[in-house]
Amino acid sequence: MVHLTRRSMLRGSLALAAAKTVGVPYVARAAATTATVWFAQGFVQDEDVALRKAVADYEKQSGNKIELSIIPFAPERQKIISALTSGVVPDMVDSNPGEILQLYGWQDRWVDVSDVVETQKSQFSETALLAAQAYNNVTKKRATYGVPLRAAVVPCHIWKSLVKKAGMKIEDIPKTWDAYFDFFKKVQDNLRKQGERKVYGLGFQVTANGVDPYNLFMAFLVAHGGQDIVTKDGKLHLDDPKVKEAAIKSAAYLGGAYRDGYVPPSAINWNDADDNNAFHAKLMVMDVDGTLSTEVAIKEKHPEWYYDEIVTHGAPGYPNDNAGKPIPSIVGYTNGLIPKGAKNVTVAKEFLKYFIQPKVIGEFVELGLGRWLPVMPSLAKSPFWQNPKDPHLKGYVQQGLLGPTRPDYYVFNLAMAEVRSHHVWSMAMIDVAKEGVKAEAAIEKAFKRIGEIFAKYPMA
Amino acid sequence: MDTTSVVEIGRPSVPRETVWRSLRGHLKGTEYTWALAFVVPYVAVFLTFVAYPVVYGLWMGSEAGLYRELFDDPIYQKTVVNTVLYLAFGVNVKMFLALLLSGFFMRPGWWMKALLLIFVLPWAVPQISTFISIHWMLNGEWGFLNNVLYTLFHVEGPHWLNDRWTALAAVIVSHIWKWTPFWTLILLAGRMAIPLDIRDTAKVDGATGLRGFVHITFPLLANLYLICTLLSTIFLLGDFNAVYFVSGGGPANTTHVLATLGIRNAFEIAQPRLGVAAVMSALPLVIPLVIVLMRKLRTAEVQL
Repeated sequence: MVHLTRRSMLRGSLALAAAKTVGVPYVARAAATTATVWFAQGFVQDEDVALRKAVADYEKQSGNKIELSIIPFAPERQKIISALTSGVVPDMVDSNPGEILQLYGWQDRWVDVSDVVETQKSQFSETALLAAQAYNNVTKKRATYGVPLRAAVVPCHIWKSLVKKAGMKIEDIPKTWDAYFDFFKKVQDNLRKQGERKVYGLGFQVTANGVDPYNLFMAFLVAHGGQDIVTKDGKLHLDDPKVKEAAIKSAAYLGGAYRDGYVPPSAINWNDADDNNAFHAKLMVMDVDGTLSTEVAIKEKHPEWYYDEIVTHGAPGYPNDNAGKPIPSIVGYTNGLIPKGAKNVTVAKEFLKYFIQPKVIGEFVELGLGRWLPVMPSLAKSPFWQNPKDPHLKGYVQQGLLGPTRPDYYVFNLAMAEVRSHHVWSMAMIDVAKEGVKAEAAIEKAFKRIGEIFAKYPMA
Repeated sequence: MDTTSVVEIGRPSVPRETVWRSLRGHLKGTEYTWALAFVVPYVAVFLTFVAYPVVYGLWMGSEAGLYRELFDDPIYQKTVVNTVLYLAFGVNVKMFLALLLSGFFMRPGWWMKALLLIFVLPWAVPQISTFISIHWMLNGEWGFLNNVLYTLFHVEGPHWLNDRWTALAAVIVSHIWKWTPFWTLILLAGRMAIPLDIRDTAKVDGATGLRGFVHITFPLLANLYLICTLLSTIFLLGDFNAVYFVSGGGPANTTHVLATLGIRNAFEIAQPRLGVAAVMSALPLVIPLVIVLMRKLRTAEVQL
């Protein structure tokens, strides 16, 4: 019989510790072909299924292992920032939020991935290539730190059935910017005359939460001629009269629509998902909101809504400016990023090279029901995007990939990301909407704040 | 030449071996090894999960420039006012209600026990889902509350979450609704710990009803009440859920408290150090509270 003594127990413990030490190289060898990847959870399950399929196909072909974590949007954002702050990073993350590429690119925290992008450079849209870059404040140079994976613009989602109920036709929606949105004010007036107590014409996110209000304001700013607020060299142009006039018109229109009762009152405190919910509840006739999440969220449960009752943009497509000229849409991208300090940069790069092959990345966005756009113009010609029976996809891909586009302004100067997160435009809209401030004064205040923020980010 | 100093001459000479033995707690041989084996994991856990996060947090929020940036932020100034109001009303109204209700639930009868069971439900259910429900209930257009007002009285209710003060009031009321049952139970346990003979003697002396409460019950509960109030204040300073899920810090960032502003700065603005600084700015209030609490905990045990 074996007696357990203190000495034998200590000897056993030492033996166990020694065995573990011997075992470590095995784990290290395994890590040589394994990459940890974090990705934001999709709005619909199909998006996650599409991602898992792409990862599984890569693993099968390469023999490498991808430890994939699909994390809800907000927690993933927190996890990425925490990882970069602590220095314990995964091998690849998606750019959540979009501006994180530029934010940490400024601090020299990403691995240069120009060799990955190079493998498909001729396929990517020019806007996608531009948006994959960031200014590095350590090297004082711009470099490619992102690998474009998918894209999104801010389309207009319309309840065709409510337009019809108001005695109007979707074909009658005007093609120019202000007239386009004024149309929905008339729809609301008509619906109210019919006794509809709680239907609003416009779903403007006049709020200081999330990314929607910034996207909305920027769409209006560009439409009114303020597209040169920040130029490609990263310079701010608040002294440009065109920019100032466009900002004033935008604040006046958006804040004024709320003040005049054409926007749901609760919009002042919406978060990014609230407008989607309000639209589904038919609280408003139209919503201006990024991606096709509004439509794909109801496709399975309410196919009749998807195909018959809701339409993207309406008959005229994305509206032109007030002079009738096409407006470039601001495109936001999800990029693949490799943090500096990642243990397995080689596998992460190999995975990204596989992932951006047109066939793989095309299937990835299509299996996700088209909530996101592809990043390569050639993919827009597929039967999926050009399906004549689908009332959303063709207009969406036209707006965000085939039509005129431009990257978001934080690509040129990181300060614009802080303008967004500090909700400077939101405060201008709210000042007009709720506090009765004149648009000129609200924009004066906003410009002062923007100037202060830009002063924090001097670029060589 | 003798170099021994005066101090060394005056100090009684202690053999080095004795000092070493006393450092080892007078343990011999393997006893000392075993003692180390048991202590090391606890020390490691303490250093990793208590000391390191605190020191790391202090280091992250140690730059003076962060506080200048914070104090210049108009949202921070409103946030400090909100935090003070949240503490003042949230803690005191809740604790006073809990004190009254703990007396109510002292009444005998099976139905009182059944009522107590229903009463603790808000505390028992998960807080995030209930706060989200409250957020939806208060929606101005399609929320339950305004729909009831319209259906019953044909009155269009206000947009509760569109105004700073009604939104902040909604947050405070939600917090009180959620946590009053918990503190009621604590104070109820305190009341039940008062020996029956004290209460019976007081009754014989005519101290019943309000007089009994003022002269017997409250003096005996006072220390417990104070400790509960201090604890509740510390908990509330770190409370994130009620504000985040009821008002979302809105409208226009006017109802943030320090905890939610810290998260906003850290993750929405992606400036973790500024987020830590926002939370750290509550330390001048938290540290005295903890000191008073520790002192009270030392004396409380002799009160009943």
